[in-house]
Amino acid sequence: MNENVFEMQSISKSFPGVQALDKVDFTGVEGEVHALVGENGAGKSTLMKILAGAYRQDEGSILLRGKGVSFASPKDAQRHGISTIYQEFNLIPELNVAENIFLGHEPRKGRSLFIDKTHAYRMSRDLLTNLGAEIDTRKKVKHLSVAQQQMVEIAKALCLNAEIMIMDEPSAVVSGKELDSLFRIIRSLREGGRTIIYISHRIDEVFEIADRATVLKDGKLVGTVRPRDLDKGDIIKMMVGRTFAEVFPPKEKGERRPILTLKNVCRSGILKDVSLTVYTGEILGVAGLVGAGRTELARVIFGADPLERGEIIFDGRRLKKARPKVSIFHGIGFVTEDRKNEGLVHCLSIRKNLTSVILDRIRKWCFVNEREEKDIAKESVRRFKIMPPKIEQEVESLSGGNQQKVILAKWINADSKLIIMDEPTRGIDVGAKAEFYILMRQLAKQGKAILMISSELPEVIGMSDRIVVMHEGHIMGELSPSEAREETILMMATGQIRGKETEEQNLES
Amino acid sequence: MSLDRLKENWATIVVYIVLAVLVLASSLMSDIFPTYRNVSNLMNQAVALGIVSMGQTLVLLTAGIDLSVGSVISLTTCLTTGLIMGREPMVLPVVALVIALGLFIGFCNGTIIVKTGVSPLIVTLAMMSIVQGCVFLYAKGPIGELPSSFYFIAWGKLGTVPFPAIILGAISAIGIVVQKQTSFGQYLFAIGGNEEIARRSGINVDRVKIVTYMICSLAATLSGIFLSSRMGQGDPLAGGRYMIDSIIPPVLGGTSLVGGKGGLVGTLAGIFILTIISNILNLLNVETYWQWVMTGFIMIIAVAFSGKEAT
Repeated sequence: MNENVFEMQSISKSFPGVQALDKVDFTGVEGEVHALVGENGAGKSTLMKILAGAYRQDEGSILLRGKGVSFASPKDAQRHGISTIYQEFNLIPELNVAENIFLGHEPRKGRSLFIDKTHAYRMSRDLLTNLGAEIDTRKKVKHLSVAQQQMVEIAKALCLNAEIMIMDEPSAVVSGKELDSLFRIIRSLREGGRTIIYISHRIDEVFEIADRATVLKDGKLVGTVRPRDLDKGDIIKMMVGRTFAEVFPPKEKGERRPILTLKNVCRSGILKDVSLTVYTGEILGVAGLVGAGRTELARVIFGADPLERGEIIFDGRRLKKARPKVSIFHGIGFVTEDRKNEGLVHCLSIRKNLTSVILDRIRKWCFVNEREEKDIAKESVRRFKIMPPKIEQEVESLSGGNQQKVILAKWINADSKLIIMDEPTRGIDVGAKAEFYILMRQLAKQGKAILMISSELPEVIGMSDRIVVMHEGHIMGELSPSEAREETILMMATGQIRGKETEEQNLES
Repeated sequence: MSLDRLKENWATIVVYIVLAVLVLASSLMSDIFPTYRNVSNLMNQAVALGIVSMGQTLVLLTAGIDLSVGSVISLTTCLTTGLIMGREPMVLPVVALVIALGLFIGFCNGTIIVKTGVSPLIVTLAMMSIVQGCVFLYAKGPIGELPSSFYFIAWGKLGTVPFPAIILGAISAIGIVVQKQTSFGQYLFAIGGNEEIARRSGINVDRVKIVTYMICSLAATLSGIFLSSRMGQGDPLAGGRYMIDSIIPPVLGGTSLVGGKGGLVGTLAGIFILTIISNILNLLNVETYWQWVMTGFIMIIAVAFSGKEAT
């Protein structure tokens, strides 16, 4: 009975600049819930995408019931009984429940072209009833609650006769009672002999539901354990703690004065009473899990999203209306997470990108003063060591690290006093990272304020002068990097403990 | 019908209420409106617009658009009348030829769109230019002649029922059944709703799209054949207005221009709304060009309204 339903053997996969998976083994037996845990970027999703046929591994093999397989597409994997329930659902909102469950494989009336609707509705109802979900099968999916949609997703997978179900952070979208009923369903699926892979970063859930847990870190397998034999601390320890040391520049600070103060900043459901102060001459690190509201916070400060309640005071002025143009004028720069779509105009030259936010300043009448523009661009390229140092080159052809330097230089040209950096080193290679860290530190020393959002804990600890941790829209507290350990940050980011209150929180209470 | 279901079909119900109000108002405004003669005339006008806008609806559902339909209609009228030239035995072969040609143009539209990834707007606009150019190379002005039997399509009657009404009824029925009862119909919504999910569900998205453009082009061809019968002559400009007009009934009927929402039942009401407005303006002796102006406004208002609903 303990035969492996599937076996992934020493799977490796690399993307340009990153070794996403390095010889990872992963197996599943009939009737078990196998949790896959690890930090953001540990390789969980990549591993599962390979199993689901969305990616092809560079090395290693996949066995299904002892036989080697190779999937050409997700559809192909589905035919072999592997279904994925994604975080963002695979449902068409305008179609009804039954139509969604059978999408792509509708039952036909005999050999005709017509859908056997009676059969489809009956089957869907039966599937959902077995899951303990009472959902009107004729209702359009857009009218369902998120938890109900999840049930429909599960029913869809069951309908495909999936033996192996991959659930990608299913608890990210439901909570409380809904989570209990999800767990009940998972248990009953397990009793039915199915193999469930449960991806999560919530340790509590892993302990509650999983028979086994496999921990990944930096694309490597740390180990497969039985949660029952361990306690939470053990697993968190396995998840963090680096195998390689990164070099961070010494923490030299510049002139320190408050530049940005947030008071009880709220956005419904996303930001809850966020209060904090950012000082010039230092780097404030914002840690938290994906979805904790960090990027949203940055967008509110920058004026890209409206502020619903609370106050933002920048450099002595209260910013009322959400207008990026005003924020830029007052001196806020934003190095976005998504370089390609939000950071740069890809088909334009380095020169044009470097001056895109200061055109007001370098124009005469309606015309851009090209000579001045070129001078500025040359100066930036020299100062930030942008490679290749050709100001007319399109930014599209630059490496990730150099693109990031162009964005940073752009904000320095705009005389930004505060620079928000959202995942500044994502997708750039190790050498470029080190160089970028030095640049960041130089800017802080020169008196710029830097607010750095990062999911990489070593980066947060290694670069920040102060750290705040966010969890579900709340600030969980402030840490100083000397006392912060990855475990503590992770515990705070998962909402298990609170840290020291920030000064603003202190003032209020 | 439960309350939920009523709510989900609310948009369609509203369109039919608007249609009913329009019929009532028109009957009050003009004595001629409710006469048998005017109603059969109205049917006659609704058919050409109706068939092509049902084809257009299917394309819109996939989040596409077909701007070449007008030129295909022009092409069809010119070829039908020009090649038949009043000879009865030529009717079947020529009709077969124009239908094949229509399907071919739709096939080209669809294939270019799915293989190159160029936006349907651009591809079908270019196709319009190509086809319309060919039409003018073939005929510079009204052309051709039809045998008397051909006139039955637009002017015949079965008992007291005008034949055009039967055509419209039959084609709507087929269309609605295909849309609601077949997998193909379901896939149109899935593709328009989210192409990536449709693909992941194992739907052959490219094939469905190509077939949809073929159906739309076929619909334009059938409209063209009908118009030939109605006018008795081919006209290189016959289809001109249908590029815009074919989009209005679906939009009025609740079909979203970004796809995935709406359908033929709403379009059917839209067809009659547009035809009745144009009919009543004729009866009230309003100049045709005012109708163009109004059509434009209707389109903007309808799209703006449906856009609001989507968000």
